[in-house]
Amino acid sequence: MAENTGFLYPFIDGDERDADTLLADLAASARDKARESSALQRSTLAGCAEQIADAAAQLAQRFDRGGRLYSFGNGGSATDAATLAALFARPAGGHRPLPAMNLAADQAVVTALGNDVGFDLVFSRQLIAHASGSDIAVAFSTSGNSADLMTALAEASKRGLLTIGLAGYNGGEMAGSGLLDFCFVVASQSVHRIQESQALVGYELWAATQRNLAETTRPTIGREVRM
Amino acid sequence: MSVDSPETIGITADILDHGLAADLSAASLALARRFHHGATMWCLAPQWEPHAHHMAVEFVHPVIVGKRALPAVALTAPDLLAQTRIAARSGDIVIAVAGAADIAVRDIMRRAPAWGALSVWIGSGARPEAGCADHVLWIDDDDPLAPATGRFVLMYHLLWELTHVCFEHPGLLGEPPGDCGQQVCVTCSDEGRLAEVLASPAGAFAQARVRTADGEESVDVTLVSPVAAGDLLLVHAGSAITRVGQ
Repeated sequence: MAENTGFLYPFIDGDERDADTLLADLAASARDKARESSALQRSTLAGCAEQIADAAAQLAQRFDRGGRLYSFGNGGSATDAATLAALFARPAGGHRPLPAMNLAADQAVVTALGNDVGFDLVFSRQLIAHASGSDIAVAFSTSGNSADLMTALAEASKRGLLTIGLAGYNGGEMAGSGLLDFCFVVASQSVHRIQESQALVGYELWAATQRNLAETTRPTIGREVRM
Repeated sequence: MSVDSPETIGITADILDHGLAADLSAASLALARRFHHGATMWCLAPQWEPHAHHMAVEFVHPVIVGKRALPAVALTAPDLLAQTRIAARSGDIVIAVAGAADIAVRDIMRRAPAWGALSVWIGSGARPEAGCADHVLWIDDDDPLAPATGRFVLMYHLLWELTHVCFEHPGLLGEPPGDCGQQVCVTCSDEGRLAEVLASPAGAFAQARVRTADGEESVDVTLVSPVAAGDLLLVHAGSAITRVGQ
């Protein structure tokens, strides 16, 4: 194996010393990816605008009836679900806080259910415990196929919750299941770009819900406060 | 009370200008060098904890099959300074998502050089002052809800993607981490190292035990006494020569 193929892979021998070329390439790549991300965000929002408006109207009605929002996902999507729950429950800037919780937040509950009944049931069993027919389930997935999310969405649908799914690629099982009232599909093959657009769809859902509530809210005096 | 439309939350703008792209590139290479030398990355986001968890899972369990898993951990204790101080070892990375006014994060970033940790600060709105962290990755958007629109997610996704590109350039990873913002002695222009006092000296003329990027040591504090645990000092040739302000 004495063949000299080093010229094919100029940096494989670790001879590279000048970082400037790499840094310039990285910066160009970052700008390309950021442009790709915002283009996908724009096309996703444009494609979902009507659905977001419809979903937000129903979210507002359910919150007005005392409903709660449960968000869930796996991995990075669990954290995006948590960001959405925090946005609803603790919005900055004087917006109305709304009852929302992230079902991956409690380590005791998640590990107890995962260990005792299986990971596919970690979210559905919590919905069985907590949810009522006026509540809302929001599932974040990039593939649209996660078994724990599909099981939870089936449970949510059975219980009369408003069911919302965020998926990527072609929507996967979420899009084809018939279990969802609203399914927002980010048409991309990149997990990263999908998550960046899903975050914005979640933000838009929240913003439109706030607008709906602001329009329907009577003056504060005498208004029933539900938390 | 108005809620912004997509146009006003910045997705139509050029969300990553040349300056931020250059900052991201430099931060990525610094991260790759640290990881190459065995760093753990400690992830903080006191106001938006999910971002700390997302950063950690991004590096620990990459979405692209075959990319190496890197040690990254979210820190979420109520006393973030105490938790980070005990977690971070020399050579590690501390990365935070936080506004410039976040007192705990400011304090942690200020102390990171004494722990030998590379500091990276991601945020939006008013910028923190220059030099407050080794790498500042900032979005100039005053909307307090910007953290919930996916723009920080984009930022640490890019940081992850670029860091892994750097691993394909082993020749650029070999330099030992030396980019932790050391200051210089004003009288002799020689090296000055940031030190954090571990405990008050036992007596008036006793040395103080301090922590620096090089580990623990005892230093003369005659010039700056009295000192107490947690004080930051600039150490030169075995003596603390000045305090480093709040």
